[in-house]
Amino acid sequence: MSAPAPAAPGVRIKAVYNHLDLLLTGVDRLKRAGFTGWQVQAPCPRHEIEEAVYEGRPSPVRWWTLTGAIVGLTTGFLLTSLTHAQWPMINPGGKPTVAIVPFAVIMFECTILFGSLATFLGMILHCGLPSFFLDKALQDPRVTDESFTIVFTRANPADEGRITELLQKSGAVEVTTGDDTVYEVPNAV
Amino acid sequence: MASPYVTGEPNRPESYGAANRDIIRVLLKPTVAYFVGLSIAIAMLLWGAWCEYQQLTWGMGVSGYAPPVMWGVYIVTFVFWVGIGHAGTLISAILYLVRSRWRTGVYRASEAMTVFAVLTALLFPVLHLGRAWQAYWFFPYPNQRQLWMNFKSPLMWDVFAISTYFTVSAIFFYIGLMPDIAIFRDHSRGLVKKVYGLLALGWRGTNRQWHHYMAAYGFFAAFAAPLVLSVHSVVSWDFAMAPTAGWHSTIFPPYFVAGAIFSGCAMVISLLLPMTYLFKWEPYVNIWHFENLAKMCLLTSGILTYAYGTEYFIAWYSQNPYEQAIFFWRATGEYAWAFWLMVFCNCVAPLVWYSKKMRTNPVSLFVVAAIINVGMWFERFNIIVSSLAHNFDPATWTYYWPTWIEWGVLIGSAGWFFMWFLLFVKTFPAVAITEIKEMIAAPVKGHLENSR
Repeated sequence: MSAPAPAAPGVRIKAVYNHLDLLLTGVDRLKRAGFTGWQVQAPCPRHEIEEAVYEGRPSPVRWWTLTGAIVGLTTGFLLTSLTHAQWPMINPGGKPTVAIVPFAVIMFECTILFGSLATFLGMILHCGLPSFFLDKALQDPRVTDESFTIVFTRANPADEGRITELLQKSGAVEVTTGDDTVYEVPNAV
Repeated sequence: MASPYVTGEPNRPESYGAANRDIIRVLLKPTVAYFVGLSIAIAMLLWGAWCEYQQLTWGMGVSGYAPPVMWGVYIVTFVFWVGIGHAGTLISAILYLVRSRWRTGVYRASEAMTVFAVLTALLFPVLHLGRAWQAYWFFPYPNQRQLWMNFKSPLMWDVFAISTYFTVSAIFFYIGLMPDIAIFRDHSRGLVKKVYGLLALGWRGTNRQWHHYMAAYGFFAAFAAPLVLSVHSVVSWDFAMAPTAGWHSTIFPPYFVAGAIFSGCAMVISLLLPMTYLFKWEPYVNIWHFENLAKMCLLTSGILTYAYGTEYFIAWYSQNPYEQAIFFWRATGEYAWAFWLMVFCNCVAPLVWYSKKMRTNPVSLFVVAAIINVGMWFERFNIIVSSLAHNFDPATWTYYWPTWIEWGVLIGSAGWFFMWFLLFVKTFPAVAITEIKEMIAAPVKGHLENSR
């Protein structure tokens, strides 16, 4: 086990769950008790967690997608039409210098290309990737296996007792605080 | 036969952890069969590289290219590999958007196939150039003569379509892989763990990560779906926009897209059947998936057969003597054997899959898929070569047949493709573990308390 990261302001608390419904119970109770600053980890995306945490709020990645697509469409049009306007000798088949129909193919491809690249960039930024330096409590290999967690990386030390009790009562199989939240097992194949 | 893990039959993974353990098995020491396969692929690649070296040294004269057939095996094979690359995105994007359950087990390997097939296809315009060192002329940049690209040319459209397709497929493939690479990272150690850790970008499955990830994944699927339909349409315009008899047809885009999906699904069967047995993926990829792929082939084979018939009908109905001549010659002339081979492989052989017994039999699946792959290469050969060999001027008519150099490059391209695929399946999760987890019921204790 490597050395834990330097203590962050506030206290780390981590609850590990083996069941989705118990995790949702924990989330629900935390919300009702008015606690904030917690994160949920899951082995795969579950719409139940999405609804519990985000309550239907959409991801802003969609704005990146739209912006990228509009920029791509515009770039496709400008690249093709300005190029041909600057060099109007290329005039196959008697088409107009700026011919929208043949250029539509390039515009379409640029829309998809720029939209996709912007979506990728938006996803990377909003997901906080690369996330090599996430709090050690979040770097738990059990999450990519079959466990769910609720993690406070900087809980108010005054609330530590209440949060710990709440998580334990919600059905967590393990509730740890401070440096005990760091879990590493050399489980190589 | 329904999927075991959909219907809850015996070999359904019991838990998220069981899904991890089953797929991680591929990381174990490779078997002899794997090394034999990889060695054959590398040998094929080296042979292709030697042939290309000969061509670069002595020029295009060593190929069978001679006027009027200046588009030969390299363009045929380019279209073939681009076509192969279509099934992956169809399965990963279109079937994702329509929430098809059978895609889960096979989509990752199909996506890998797409990326490597397009990577292979990208070689061919460069090989076809002869002067490969001038390949940068493809790209739109203002050169010293201020002579920019002609954006009204379908060849320029193709540069944009293929490069966009490769970029988007590769990103879609990578973001799908990211959470699964994180699983591999957490089950390895040492340098391997570091490499997987870097590739997973520190993925930890937090709510923030899943929230934006799933939104982005949906948008990628929405972009990839029309893209996959556009790419082979654009490839078909390389031919259909030219006034050459046998090419100048408005049915080309749907005809080519159907052909691409047909050949791609057949290639998925050819690749995944041996892998399934080699890596013991049966709980995740089984005959139910192959039967669905066979049904996709049956549908697209029907569309292709209809398109072949329509071409002949249009030639007759248009009363255009050049069209009529080329289509008559294709079926009766020097290339008739290639034409009838194409008809047999693409229209007749797949018909056996109308029998459920045949499309659930691994031997029949493998043999017919291999026949389809051959047939689809010959389809492109028929379209491209026969129309050029019998162009408008009878004085130039010729008979083109590839030289050993061209066959060597074709074999080398297959080696290049199989090498990447084999390396991938042994080092990365070729079955999408995270999506398998989404398919199986989440572990619950029956205590859901909801105050909302």
